[in-house]
Amino acid sequence: MANLAQRLALLRSWRNPDGGWGYFPGKQSWLEPTVWAGLALADDRAAAGRTWELVRAWRNPDGGWRPMAAPCDSTWGTALALTLASVLGRDGPEVENGVRWLIETRGAESTLLNRILRAMGSSAVEREVKYAGWPWRRRTSAWLEPTVHALVALKKVGQRRPDALLAARIDAGERMLLSLRCQDGGWNYGSPRALGHDLPSYAETTGLALVGLQDRAPADAVEYARRIPEAQASPLARAWLRLATGGGEVQQDFGSDVLLTALASVDPGVLRS
Amino acid sequence: MKLTRRVLAPAAVAAATAGYASMNHRKPPPAEMEGGAKSTVAILKASSYSVDLVRPILDGIRACGLDVRGKRVLLKPNLVEFDHATAINTDARVVAAALEAFSTAGAASVTIGEGPGHRRDTFDLAREAEYLQFVPRFDALFTDLNRDDVSSVPQFADDGEFFFPNTALRADLMVSMPKMKTHHWAGVTLSMKNLFGLVPGAMYGWPKNRLHIIGITRSILELNRVFRNTFALVDGIVGMEGNGPIQGTPKQAGVLVMGRDVRAVDATCCRIMGVDPLQVEYLRLAAPLGRIEEKWIEQRGEKTAAVATEFALIAQFSGLRGRVS
Repeated sequence: MANLAQRLALLRSWRNPDGGWGYFPGKQSWLEPTVWAGLALADDRAAAGRTWELVRAWRNPDGGWRPMAAPCDSTWGTALALTLASVLGRDGPEVENGVRWLIETRGAESTLLNRILRAMGSSAVEREVKYAGWPWRRRTSAWLEPTVHALVALKKVGQRRPDALLAARIDAGERMLLSLRCQDGGWNYGSPRALGHDLPSYAETTGLALVGLQDRAPADAVEYARRIPEAQASPLARAWLRLATGGGEVQQDFGSDVLLTALASVDPGVLRS
Repeated sequence: MKLTRRVLAPAAVAAATAGYASMNHRKPPPAEMEGGAKSTVAILKASSYSVDLVRPILDGIRACGLDVRGKRVLLKPNLVEFDHATAINTDARVVAAALEAFSTAGAASVTIGEGPGHRRDTFDLAREAEYLQFVPRFDALFTDLNRDDVSSVPQFADDGEFFFPNTALRADLMVSMPKMKTHHWAGVTLSMKNLFGLVPGAMYGWPKNRLHIIGITRSILELNRVFRNTFALVDGIVGMEGNGPIQGTPKQAGVLVMGRDVRAVDATCCRIMGVDPLQVEYLRLAAPLGRIEEKWIEQRGEKTAAVATEFALIAQFSGLRGRVS
């Protein structure tokens, strides 16, 4: 069992010399665990400044963020970087460019051509495609998790700087999430149906969806999430459900899993706008 | 998306096949694939997961002439999803037996790695699938390939570079350990398709949607071009038929199928399942470089006909029955 102070101490001890975190101690730094560890340690101004400097260095010329130090395409992690920037109060051209990259990024299934083909019955996609969500990488389909992270990031930006385009993308992303709800009341990773069969929801993606929807989450969905038995939820699911429902202190250690340790240590209020 | 794959399929497959045949490969192919030798495939009976599985795996390794002495071996099972009602994953007892068998055969190290397609909490999935219960020291031996350190490999399909887990790139021998299953997009999923789990989610997401955009067939061929030093060990003790790879129903086949030529192994599995391998697109395209036809396969252990048991296929794949010789 580890309490918050112990987990934060672990996170500090696992930090790589470059200032970032790997998914496991001693492994290469990645954007995802670095952002979540940075959010968990956001109150430590010196640590936060160092985290942001590293994350800032992983920007790509297209405005997005790559998932690690090595040169490669921008990905969904752009949303995480923007959330970190908002929480740490960072602004500037890099943030603006990142917001632009995120607004211009949408799932390949919701392009005009694909929507027309679907209307003509030429697509086997069994989900609503008129609302643009976000993909893991450009030129691929939108999925629940990257859409959630994009919504969290853009809502934070929108809170500071109301903007019609931003509001429209947020609205579409929320509608996309609502349209993906499974018959059982929760959410899974993407489509609620495949080959004519209803698909079951998962605890972790249900938690994630509620984090993205925030005040737009249907009350019965929040109630559904609260009723998910602890035994049926993986550690990752419990982390997301806590962040979604504002649950209390976690008394658990997660071995050497940096991401889980960080997620369990983030203040749920940090993600809300 | 299905539509995208259909639209792009012909050009993509042609390009993949050309690239597959002409590119320099990272590692040399198995010696038996050079020249005119037949590919050896061993079919070992195993009636259940409760019997001794180490012995048949060792028998298969020897029958296939595989020398693992001094090699770093990575076992790559198929861990996808867990559902008590069906048989989705490579059974943990087969993985445990392979761990022991490859160690006994002299491997310098035997580790386990997998990167599930959509479940992010890999360790929890492994716990549900009883890997922690049956595989000794699982925590120490297992690498979540979705979150491993990565390095790039030049040219993968149309991508100038592609990232793979270092654990997979640095293995001397990969053992692809799929479950014998039908697949609602690829027709069947066996040792070649199993390499999808090598693509790191941290780079490409959950699921690895980039592979679907490239095209499933082309991705299978490309993955098997990059990871050529692969030995196949198929868990066909209880496979899955119907709407696989997740929502199908368990199907007892009672076999382990092994070999150094993954194409020949997958073709043999198809015949066991009542599927004509030449009707499976990725196998048909891989045929020039592997031994797909029976005349090119040296069968050890059981004969295919003796263990064949027809796997139910969903309607859209009924054409896969073809001519099962």
